[in-house]
Amino acid sequence: MRFIRKAVLPAAFLAMLAASPAHAGDPIRTIDLFTRPQAAQPQEFQSVQLIAQEWRKLGLDVNVRVMPWEQMSDVVWYQRDKWDVTAWQMVGRPERSDPDEIVFNLFHSSTAEKGYNFIGYTNPEYDAIVEAQRVEIDEADRKELIHKAQEILARDQPNMMLVHPKQTFAFDKTVWDPASVVNQSGIGIRNTWTFLSLAPLGDQKDIILNSADNVQAINPLYISGGVDSWVFELVYDRLARVGPDGLPKPWAAETYEWKDDRTLEVKLREGMKWHDGQPVTPEDVKFSFEAAVSGEAPMYAPFATNIESIEIGDGSTITFTLKQPAASFVTSSLAKINLVPKHVWEPIIEDLKTKEENAESYQEQTPIGSGPYKFERWLTNEEIVLSANKEHFNAPKADRWILRIVPNVEAALGMLRSGEINFLAEFGGDPQVLIQAAEQDGDLEVVSTVEMGFRYVAFNHRRPPFDDPAFRRALSAAVDRQLIVKAAFRGFAEPSNSVVSPALGFWHDASVVENFESGLDAAKSILEEAGYTLEGDRLHYPGDQKETLAN
Amino acid sequence: MPHLKAAASRTLQLALVLWAVVTILFLMFRLMPGNPMAAYIDPTFTAEQQQALMAQFGLDKPLWEQYFIYLGNLLQGELGQSFRYREPVAERIFTLLPNTLILTFSSLIVAYAFGILAGAYLAWRRGSAVEKAAIPLVLTTRAMPEFWLGMVLLAIFSFWLGWFPAGGTRPAGASYGSLWALYTSREFLSYLALPALTLAIYSQGLPLLLMRSNMLDVMKEDFVTMARIKGLSNWTVVVRHAARNALLPVMTSFAIAVGYQLQGNVVVETVFSWPGLGRELVRAVSASDYPLAQGAFLMIAVVVILMNLIADLLYAFLDPRVSHA
Repeated sequence: MRFIRKAVLPAAFLAMLAASPAHAGDPIRTIDLFTRPQAAQPQEFQSVQLIAQEWRKLGLDVNVRVMPWEQMSDVVWYQRDKWDVTAWQMVGRPERSDPDEIVFNLFHSSTAEKGYNFIGYTNPEYDAIVEAQRVEIDEADRKELIHKAQEILARDQPNMMLVHPKQTFAFDKTVWDPASVVNQSGIGIRNTWTFLSLAPLGDQKDIILNSADNVQAINPLYISGGVDSWVFELVYDRLARVGPDGLPKPWAAETYEWKDDRTLEVKLREGMKWHDGQPVTPEDVKFSFEAAVSGEAPMYAPFATNIESIEIGDGSTITFTLKQPAASFVTSSLAKINLVPKHVWEPIIEDLKTKEENAESYQEQTPIGSGPYKFERWLTNEEIVLSANKEHFNAPKADRWILRIVPNVEAALGMLRSGEINFLAEFGGDPQVLIQAAEQDGDLEVVSTVEMGFRYVAFNHRRPPFDDPAFRRALSAAVDRQLIVKAAFRGFAEPSNSVVSPALGFWHDASVVENFESGLDAAKSILEEAGYTLEGDRLHYPGDQKETLAN
Repeated sequence: MPHLKAAASRTLQLALVLWAVVTILFLMFRLMPGNPMAAYIDPTFTAEQQQALMAQFGLDKPLWEQYFIYLGNLLQGELGQSFRYREPVAERIFTLLPNTLILTFSSLIVAYAFGILAGAYLAWRRGSAVEKAAIPLVLTTRAMPEFWLGMVLLAIFSFWLGWFPAGGTRPAGASYGSLWALYTSREFLSYLALPALTLAIYSQGLPLLLMRSNMLDVMKEDFVTMARIKGLSNWTVVVRHAARNALLPVMTSFAIAVGYQLQGNVVVETVFSWPGLGRELVRAVSASDYPLAQGAFLMIAVVVILMNLIADLLYAFLDPRVSHA
């Protein structure tokens, strides 16, 4: 037996050499594919296993490397030339309803070195388009540019888009009128609009909801955890809010109007009051925007740096003058900056200027906003109680909003059934389990919504062969997204080929998803056309390209 | 004089153990892979903002310098600022500690009261059918994972029978004048019942088995035989003579158990959404919040070390034969 093997192997090897074309490139090295652990991210882990399996069929040697988020993000973010491919995700947030943040920050060449374009995608044609959409005030023209950007991304496949997951929430329909629940596009039913309009059917008038994670801070000048934003979006008003359809609407502003492409005139709503009884004035509004760039609130600074001046006209008019025209200004600044009372925050900020800390580490005992709910009580890691601000111009129909911290997923579902909570605002378990529980119970209603956020696989363009669009296209085509949806997400996701989610109906370009051709045969023919060769069962570079990163 | 010397050497030992714990804690978190600030990356962050954040928490300094700053701060009782919550670690720990202590002590008191009585009874009924059935049962409860036991109790008593609430320390939105008013309220007891019962079932095995084996040893001793010869009733012999002596090691084990129980709390606090130190610890570790995780670990280590010291001293006090000389 040993004899035969010794004799046969070299012979086979020689035969293989003879069969290969004269100018074959090197074999492609083993590709490292990063994912987070199954325990932490089961869907991501499962998707990556499926992807690796398909890529191996193309003749690639794929090594799946499992690592915790801290380690993965450290390599991907700080050692930008040290990795090949990684699973990644972007979460949905109301202010991401404007596509600018995603289409610009993720792919513009200026953010490649240190910013969010960690994949190192550079395309001057793309740069020009996303720069143009930034300053295009006309919505129809801007939409065209955003579509064009999506088409370039579909062609270049800088990332391999996988899915837009669905968010699944539930509530007790014997407590809350189902007709009063608002399903915000790309966000789901857990949103500010729902918390304002939920109408009680009986004696229970408190919205009692759950979160698995603790609240970190309730601070209008600090962007902390996701759960925190549920709270401060209710306590603080903003000039505009992103509406259920994903487009911005006037809120504390009665109206806003572009005078030219750098001048926005805002009329502040009359009769608003802070929770301590003082009136909300145009000076407060001006102060709120200036606080963001005071140096004491670094996380909010990017949303106000483009403002050249803020002038208070007669009555309640406020005029914003911008340094550069910015189409996303209403969504990314007016609907983002929290309005804070000058009489509370001015002394705090002045004091902080003399200290090392900034406003992010300042926690008010009782946060004072002007929003539809007032802050009542915060018990560390247990609950937050807000009470309805009945004087608000959009007063909630509920009496109180009580957030309970429940780290145990099964317990959260049990609590929903027993009435300890009546709105399931977070469910980390299998949505199918939730749906079954609702069927058994009869009192629960479950709502799933396609997210604005997305899951994807990022290619490192700094490292060949990922610098070749054809190679990326082939790898992307090799994977059936329906399989990912069914096997990894158990149906609770929608296949994706665009960073602009179908949930953002106005901006989403459906054609890039419809025209996406996938399948192993399509992938193989793309590789063949681009000159990649399969020798034995190993994929080789085209031409005489050498492997410079062999491991 | 020998007493003073013993006290001095004990104190020195304590200081050494604490220093070792502190150093290991420091190194442990810094040897974990990844940049701690990576967990706080946001696409809107600029490179300068990230640098500023690193500098704000002193993470741009070399490791040895961070170590000495850390030691210096600790000596002043300063535990640093949490990355996640941007608030002083000490403040956070002392807010959560009472919840953890009340859960720990209430469950241990139940466990020890039951364990001592049942242990003495089983020793007395040695060889009976009751004992034959009870010992495997006790060993089973010792071996059950706490989270599993907690989930089972939750499923039965909360979701099925609806007798107890499923999580937290009080009804949603309820307000109490003080911590004392909360802890003495009826509602609080109903919230405390299931987590405390889980921990009590888990921890009654140690005192029970310890009490039983001590009793069996003591009952063989001469003074017990003497008492029997005197014609005292069986009850008097077991309770007044044997049990009193067998109790000693059990009482000292209580002090040590407090330390161990704090570890068990980590799981039970998560299952029952109990706002205690254990849950915070888990969250801090998974979020790479070094200062908070270090602070919480240190607090637990200090309690364990202190309880060990108390156990030592208690023993010497309760049993004059043991001396530190």
